[in-house]
Amino acid sequence: MPQVKIIAKNFMDMVASLTARDLDNLYQNPFICEAILRSLPPLAKKYVLQMLYIEGSVLAKSMEEWVLADGFTKHRVAIDRLVQLRIFSEEKKKETSYRLNPTFQTNLQKHLIYGGALPREPMPSNVTVRLPTLEELEAYALGQWECFLLQLISSAQAEKPTNFSSSMMKVFQRGLLIQRDKESPRLSESGFQFLLMDTSAQLWYIIREYISNSQERGVNQADLISFLLELSFHVAGEAYNVNTLSELQKNMIKDFADLGLVKLQQGRKDSWFIPTKLATSLSISLTDSSSRKEGFVVVETNFRIYAYSTSKLHCEILRLFSRIEYQLPNLIVGAITKESLYNAFDNGITADQIIAFLQQNAHPRVAERVPSVPENVCDQIRLWESDLNRVEATPAYFYDEFPSRDVFEAACDYARDRSGLLWEDSKKMRLAVKAETHTHMREFLRGQS
Amino acid sequence: MSSGHVTKRAKYKTSVKDPGTSGALRLNEQKLMFMPDNRNSSTKLAVEFKSIQGHKYTKEGSKKPPLINLSNAQGGSYIFEFDNYSDLHVCRDFVSKVLEKSKDTSSVASEKTVVTLPDEQLSAAEMQLRIKLLQEDCELQKLHQQFVGGNILTEAEFWAARKKLLDNDSSRKSNQRVGFKSAMISDIRPLTDGRTNKVTFSLTPEIILQIFAEKPAVHRAFLNLVPKKMTEMEFWTKYCRAEYLNRTKNVHTAAAEAAEDEELALFLKEDDILATEVRKKIRRVDPTLDMEADEGDDYMHLPDHGIFRDGSKELNESQHDIYRRTLLQDLNRHAAVVLEGRTVDVEMEDNTRAVAEALARSKQGKEGADGYENEERLDRVSRSTTLEDLQPPHSLPLAPLSIKDARDYFDSQQGNTLKTFRDPSGKMESLGSLSTQEAYGSMRDAISEMKSMGVSDPIINPEVALKVFNGLTHSISSIKYNHGKNPRESVLDRLPTVTKEKLLQHWTCIQELLKHFWSSYPITTPYLYAKVSRLKDAMSNIYRQLEEMKASLQSDLRHQVSLLVRPMQRALDAAIQHHDADLQKRSAKSSEEIPNGYV
Amino acid sequence: MASAPSKLYSGLSLALSTIFFFFKVVEGLDSVIADDVSLVVVLLDTNPFFWTTSSFPFSHFLSHVLAFLNAILTLNQLNQVVIIATGCNSCDYVYDSSKTANQSFGNGRMPTLCATLLQNLEEFMTKDEKLGIEEAEERITGSLLSGSLSMALCYIQRVFRSGSLHPQPRILCLQGSPDGPEQYVAIMNAIFSAQRSMVPIDSCYIGVQNSAFLQQASYITGGVHHKPQQLDGLFQYLLTIFATDLHSRSFLQLPKPVGVDFRASCFCHKNTIDMGYICSVCLSIFCTRHKKCSTCGSTFGQAQSDDASATNRKRKAPDS
Repeated sequence: MPQVKIIAKNFMDMVASLTARDLDNLYQNPFICEAILRSLPPLAKKYVLQMLYIEGSVLAKSMEEWVLADGFTKHRVAIDRLVQLRIFSEEKKKETSYRLNPTFQTNLQKHLIYGGALPREPMPSNVTVRLPTLEELEAYALGQWECFLLQLISSAQAEKPTNFSSSMMKVFQRGLLIQRDKESPRLSESGFQFLLMDTSAQLWYIIREYISNSQERGVNQADLISFLLELSFHVAGEAYNVNTLSELQKNMIKDFADLGLVKLQQGRKDSWFIPTKLATSLSISLTDSSSRKEGFVVVETNFRIYAYSTSKLHCEILRLFSRIEYQLPNLIVGAITKESLYNAFDNGITADQIIAFLQQNAHPRVAERVPSVPENVCDQIRLWESDLNRVEATPAYFYDEFPSRDVFEAACDYARDRSGLLWEDSKKMRLAVKAETHTHMREFLRGQS
Repeated sequence: MSSGHVTKRAKYKTSVKDPGTSGALRLNEQKLMFMPDNRNSSTKLAVEFKSIQGHKYTKEGSKKPPLINLSNAQGGSYIFEFDNYSDLHVCRDFVSKVLEKSKDTSSVASEKTVVTLPDEQLSAAEMQLRIKLLQEDCELQKLHQQFVGGNILTEAEFWAARKKLLDNDSSRKSNQRVGFKSAMISDIRPLTDGRTNKVTFSLTPEIILQIFAEKPAVHRAFLNLVPKKMTEMEFWTKYCRAEYLNRTKNVHTAAAEAAEDEELALFLKEDDILATEVRKKIRRVDPTLDMEADEGDDYMHLPDHGIFRDGSKELNESQHDIYRRTLLQDLNRHAAVVLEGRTVDVEMEDNTRAVAEALARSKQGKEGADGYENEERLDRVSRSTTLEDLQPPHSLPLAPLSIKDARDYFDSQQGNTLKTFRDPSGKMESLGSLSTQEAYGSMRDAISEMKSMGVSDPIINPEVALKVFNGLTHSISSIKYNHGKNPRESVLDRLPTVTKEKLLQHWTCIQELLKHFWSSYPITTPYLYAKVSRLKDAMSNIYRQLEEMKASLQSDLRHQVSLLVRPMQRALDAAIQHHDADLQKRSAKSSEEIPNGYV
Repeated sequence: MASAPSKLYSGLSLALSTIFFFFKVVEGLDSVIADDVSLVVVLLDTNPFFWTTSSFPFSHFLSHVLAFLNAILTLNQLNQVVIIATGCNSCDYVYDSSKTANQSFGNGRMPTLCATLLQNLEEFMTKDEKLGIEEAEERITGSLLSGSLSMALCYIQRVFRSGSLHPQPRILCLQGSPDGPEQYVAIMNAIFSAQRSMVPIDSCYIGVQNSAFLQQASYITGGVHHKPQQLDGLFQYLLTIFATDLHSRSFLQLPKPVGVDFRASCFCHKNTIDMGYICSVCLSIFCTRHKKCSTCGSTFGQAQSDDASATNRKRKAPDS
């Protein structure tokens, strides 16, 4: 199982870490082919397209001909990605050449000519009485997602609990929260990083956890991934009959509803699910800056923060490192103070993370300015952090009452060699060594005496 | 006296102190001659009046001897001392008459010289500018050397084609205009001669313009009253009277006199035009401007150093309020006028009336702009009332149109000549066989075929795809090979540096020559005729050089170079052909008509 | 050069050399957005007179183009394709992917894109034919490239103004009909406005001769011009060259024509000319001598006798 890394931003990383057999199986599904194509780096997309109808292999050299000098690193990244995903297979005879994965190739060709067909049609509007508008749907999706996040970071805050079992929730919280003995769990460093990511990255993190956990629940990872991707090709806002789903998928769809990926509705006879924007944007590669959310925070030089947001979650995030002064219906006003920052540092949040958060979420109007967060504020945050680091605590052992100066000096040299010597006082023949060198030191002293 | 010549006895002096040589001065309409008594003396003179620029003479009654001083254009002078004043007067009158005449003719003559001999006289500044331009631009210098140095073009011709270059610099210098003086009108003190009660104000056009600009009411009054109701003299006397009353702070007298004389009252009253303007201005103030913030800044109690009128002495009687103007009002108005700048040139307008009218015109122009200003203000208000912090930027990004590197032209020329080799004009095949209906019908058939069949599968044959891809890759690598690493490099860069530079130089030369060549048509003067034949020779010379260059190159380069050279040669061909045809026509004509048929 | 009115007498015989300015490709497009999202406006040549004489059937052409457009939509969910048909008598939008959801799917037989487009295209052809009958006297065989270019630019301007996010728009001309010199001024104006708003015009010419207009359009706006050698491989050309998004173009070498045909059309008879006369005041181009400039009304004094005019032309050359 792949190591869960918090920086993993999209399903590309996840798919790339699958085994070769799983990957080849995945490409049987045309949706996955398309989704994978979409998430490739721009140059890689172009390479796939130009190879689409070429059956043999193409020399690596002839592809490099097209690349300009300053695009070479991009070219390398693209080729590596393609090989990693087994879309390109490398052939090394005399010269390196690449050929397109045949399954992948045929699926894409078919897709271009015939178009894909979803396994289910949207339900006619006379059956579904009133469908939510796209705006309502988006609000619903974000609401669900924030509710989930709130529950994730502090279970008490959530207004309505989700269907996830507490064991499932624990899985999600793993790595995000740390629980010191008897205290209530607190956000860990990576937990804070998680909160700083944009929605789709967060979503992918959670889904990743969900998928990696699936085997424990006896669900095939590949099935799960292909269902998720299939979902991403549904039309947002249209209703689809739940009966078209398999039993396994029916179970999954409930979980997805909790995450805000779909909205479930119950009619007189049938029940249906409506995919939201969160679901349909799953396959968008996250390199798209256009999919990034608009920022909302304005930081002033007087350390005041204005956040144009209605979200409770945002308020919670800001509370992590600032003093919230008042909350208006669409505005949160806070101030960065020494105390609030010490609080944050205490929780393992670093100054750089805070500054990065403020910069990434800068309101569009301030985001255009350079710097988007006033310099004096950044500097002060860093200074306060370094204030805390003035004294460094190291566990140590203290030795004194050496029998002779020789023994003392030999002990000093020994500790110095192992770079464990912290302090020495040759007059009074006392020294302190790091805790980890203590055992060696003890052995050494025993040998001396 | 008006007879053709005058002869008087006089002494010729080279300077005033010089004792002089005595002899006879003879003046006629063309020249003056001096014959010394001593025939062997070298001071014989024969000077044409054309070269004489001015004359000076001593006044009768002064203690000096009767002298006349004729100065020539080079700054030298001829001084003659006469025996008596009557001789001097006779000569003086004659000289002045002749000079007047010759001035007229000489100006005509000088115009003529410009036409026939365009070697203009240059001021030192112009010369320097040219030198500077040549120094800054080595390409220009090369051209200058080649053509002006090689006697193909004259200096004047060369620069005539580059007027813009010359203009640019000189216009920058002359563009600065003199504004109003910052001294206030009230600083112009009247002159009083201690003995009588007479007070003299001296008004120059400059001052009058300033008065008009600062006091619109006076300006209006002038336009209304002069010359219908009073003369200009009367007008200004009245004005000065009013000013005097104001100055002496004699409020009571002012009120009394105003009651009697309505015109005088005009000057003493508060300026109503100014008042309305000020009110307008206040309305124009940006509403977001915080005036209260300035309230604490108090300028009232600052001592007014150096300002002529002493504000503290001003009386404070409310009933005559309208007859008083405060220092502050005057200062503000003056400042506004000075900052507005001068809109009328005083030098041009000697006449007061004209000044007044010009000012009125320029004001009207400004009025028109006011409407626009108002709109702008509204726009500003609407912008500033919304929180500008949270608004997106207003305008879309636009790329400036810019001139490309002209060297791309070589690429295109090579491409074009290649093309003419390759496809000998494949015109679209005749369409006549099909009617419009059939054509549209077949299109619709194709579409409905697509509709029923869908996109053909496979779209293309894998072999074709590979072939196309390889073909493209090949052409890409040939571009890379041809252009080196840098895709921006042009055909030229493939040639050896020497050839490239030579080619470029020839190209600029040809440009220059052709420019001059075509601009001298139609040939109307013998001068142009000579110029064209000079140019033609130079062109055939370059033509030959091009040929030589081609021949001297290795075969592989020769082909490329000849592709580049071809358009140049074609341009030269066209010019030479035109020249020959024109020559033929001219000779045919001249044999019929008068020989030497230029006008 | 004698551009002042006082030198007008020499204006008529002035070299064409002044008129040709070269406009710089706008660089730094990628600095605006570092994304591969693209908005492609495709101008489809539907001139029936061209297609009936072409060796490459229209249905094949459509197949290639439709599959290509489908590929563009597949590349990125946010990609957008707008198709404008360039007819003989009219131009019209025949497809806009932002108006139909989930374009790449369909009924399993062909993508929705194809179905919608074919339907609209058929209607357009009928309409275009009717318009042609109404003004039947004069048979124009060229297609209205200037019209469709302007429509494309208008569309792009609307997109620019409607949102804060800039899609990276580009125009792709798929042209087969020969240049219509009578459209010279209109096309040049469209090209310059495209250049000014930083919209590259790609062009793929599938006719017999090469098109000077399209070459200039691509050259000036920084787009790619290509004339496929092998028409049955059109799809491959489209995928390899024209599917490249603007972001990737800064890393790739794309085919570059050996030389651009910079010839202009005269304003009087709309002929494509090599040499001609230009007005020294407004730079209008004429193929024959005129007494008065038809554009700005300046009078040219002292014309020489007409027989000289044939030899009086001069090849135009760029101004340095």
